[in-house]
Amino acid sequence: MTAIVRGEWLKLRTTAIPWVLAGIAVVITGLFILVYFLNHGAGGGGSGGGSAFVPNDWGAPHPGYPHTTTQLRDLVGRGLTGYIFALLLGVLIITVEFRHKTATTSFLVTPRRWQFVLGKLLMAALAAIGLAVLLLAVTVVGGGIAVVAQGGSFGSLLGQLGAVAPGLILVFVLFALLGVGVGSLVTNQVAALIICLGWFLIVENIIEAIWHGTVKWLPTGAASAAANVTAGRDADFGLFNWWQGSLLILAYGLVFAAIGSFVLARRDIT
Amino acid sequence: MTSAIEVRGLGKSFGSVRAVDDLSFEVAEGRVTGFLGPNGSGKTTTLRMLLGLVSVTDGTATFGGRRYADLDHPVRHVGAALEATSFHPTRRAGDHLKSVALASGLPLSRVDETLELVGLTDVARRRVGKFSLGMRQRLQLATALLGDPEILILDEPANGLDPQGIQWLRQFIRGQASAGHAVLVSSHLLSEMEETVDDVVIISQGKLVLQTTLADLAAQAGTGTGMRIRTPEITRLAEVLNAVPVGWRQVAPDTLVIDGATPEWFGPFAVQHQIVLYELVNERGSLEDVFLRLTHGFDASHTVPGSGQSAPFPMPGGPS
Repeated sequence: MTAIVRGEWLKLRTTAIPWVLAGIAVVITGLFILVYFLNHGAGGGGSGGGSAFVPNDWGAPHPGYPHTTTQLRDLVGRGLTGYIFALLLGVLIITVEFRHKTATTSFLVTPRRWQFVLGKLLMAALAAIGLAVLLLAVTVVGGGIAVVAQGGSFGSLLGQLGAVAPGLILVFVLFALLGVGVGSLVTNQVAALIICLGWFLIVENIIEAIWHGTVKWLPTGAASAAANVTAGRDADFGLFNWWQGSLLILAYGLVFAAIGSFVLARRDIT
Repeated sequence: MTSAIEVRGLGKSFGSVRAVDDLSFEVAEGRVTGFLGPNGSGKTTTLRMLLGLVSVTDGTATFGGRRYADLDHPVRHVGAALEATSFHPTRRAGDHLKSVALASGLPLSRVDETLELVGLTDVARRRVGKFSLGMRQRLQLATALLGDPEILILDEPANGLDPQGIQWLRQFIRGQASAGHAVLVSSHLLSEMEETVDDVVIISQGKLVLQTTLADLAAQAGTGTGMRIRTPEITRLAEVLNAVPVGWRQVAPDTLVIDGATPEWFGPFAVQHQIVLYELVNERGSLEDVFLRLTHGFDASHTVPGSGQSAPFPMPGGPS
């Protein structure tokens, strides 16, 4: 299995997919940090709009305005929104084999197809860890610059890393596994991407709007639980605790992967 | 002589379509076996069943008694080059081979060795999307050779190769057989293979037509030899030929074929009767004719039987 994953890693890094996805995720995370930087303290209690604390658009808008622990934690955790890229990475890692018909060669090397799917799951998990660490680095460095520019302490920002990183890495890994699971079942790359994006951008929102109580059972709700971050969610929704949420996403991913392996094992590669 | 590949009662149904039916043949070690049949006759499906890519409906296809998926290190025993399209277009040729070597637990030194073997060393850093069909064929072959397998399965490897490439491929395949390896090579053109193969397995419409040696097939073809004559005096030639005990038939307004004739006989004969000749061709009955006859010229992808390459003129009734 180590050999298969080594082969997978070479295959992955010799295509544009992971680099493009990581690049977009970094840019989006960077924008979140910029928004935090520009908004920090704006309209907040003491400082009052248009005060001398706002010298210009690009300077430090609100020097000296305190950063609360929650704010710092949210700042370091900004990369969490990139979980959708971990999901897409998982989908692409497996569907690319069918899009370019490289599956033929892969199945000659790994004729037991569950091993092929397992290799993809492991590779996707490792790639997701890499992506999560990258985005954490972006928030720590970028957020650090923003906080320090506003007179905050880099140390207190870094102090939140321990609280945020495990949940974020966990969510990324789980969503990458979910992506591989979906991709093993829906091997058509375009269809798999549309299903994933459609689900997370549209379908989940509709389900949430109609049945509030289902949120904790949906992947996004489970992800929020797993990350121990309930950002933007009404507490009434009542999410699972982090390990229940993790098990739920893992179950989604593995059930898809198991069905996908089963279907794939019977599929004729012509 | 032991069998490297054994196919027993192999069958495959795609829905209601019977693509391969009760197919049995063997491929011997140290020999090149041509797997021949018209387009759509089930060759590729058979090879893919052998390699576990397509599920088997009936029968077995094994390597030394074991299915491909049950081999411990499949790529070290069986190398397969199936189609020239299965590469990621932006991946470099060398990286493609490296990924296969890594996943198979093969030393990376094999990558350079196989690139050298197929003559792609100079383009190892080039992206496969920029490759010509011939280069892709070579890269497929390199992929198949990575594990230094004792059994090679090549699906239409000559497609897209230029004449030099085909010559190189022939020598390569012969070299593999000389090294004691078993080679199963499919083609829809026997003429492409007749200098390369030792044995032939001919299928048509998913069924076995004939498994024999090339020598046997050539003996069958030999019955069709004769002389093809083009002359402006075809009527007079026909008259004088009728006076001697030879069979002949007219194949074009100015051309006829004399069965069993040799130039040594016909040359003096033409001088004796003072017949003007435009063309005098020693017509060897080609293997392709036999092949077409055996497969009834059936080609699932064309309505016109045969390619016309081997039969320059329509031959009513065919050579007998």
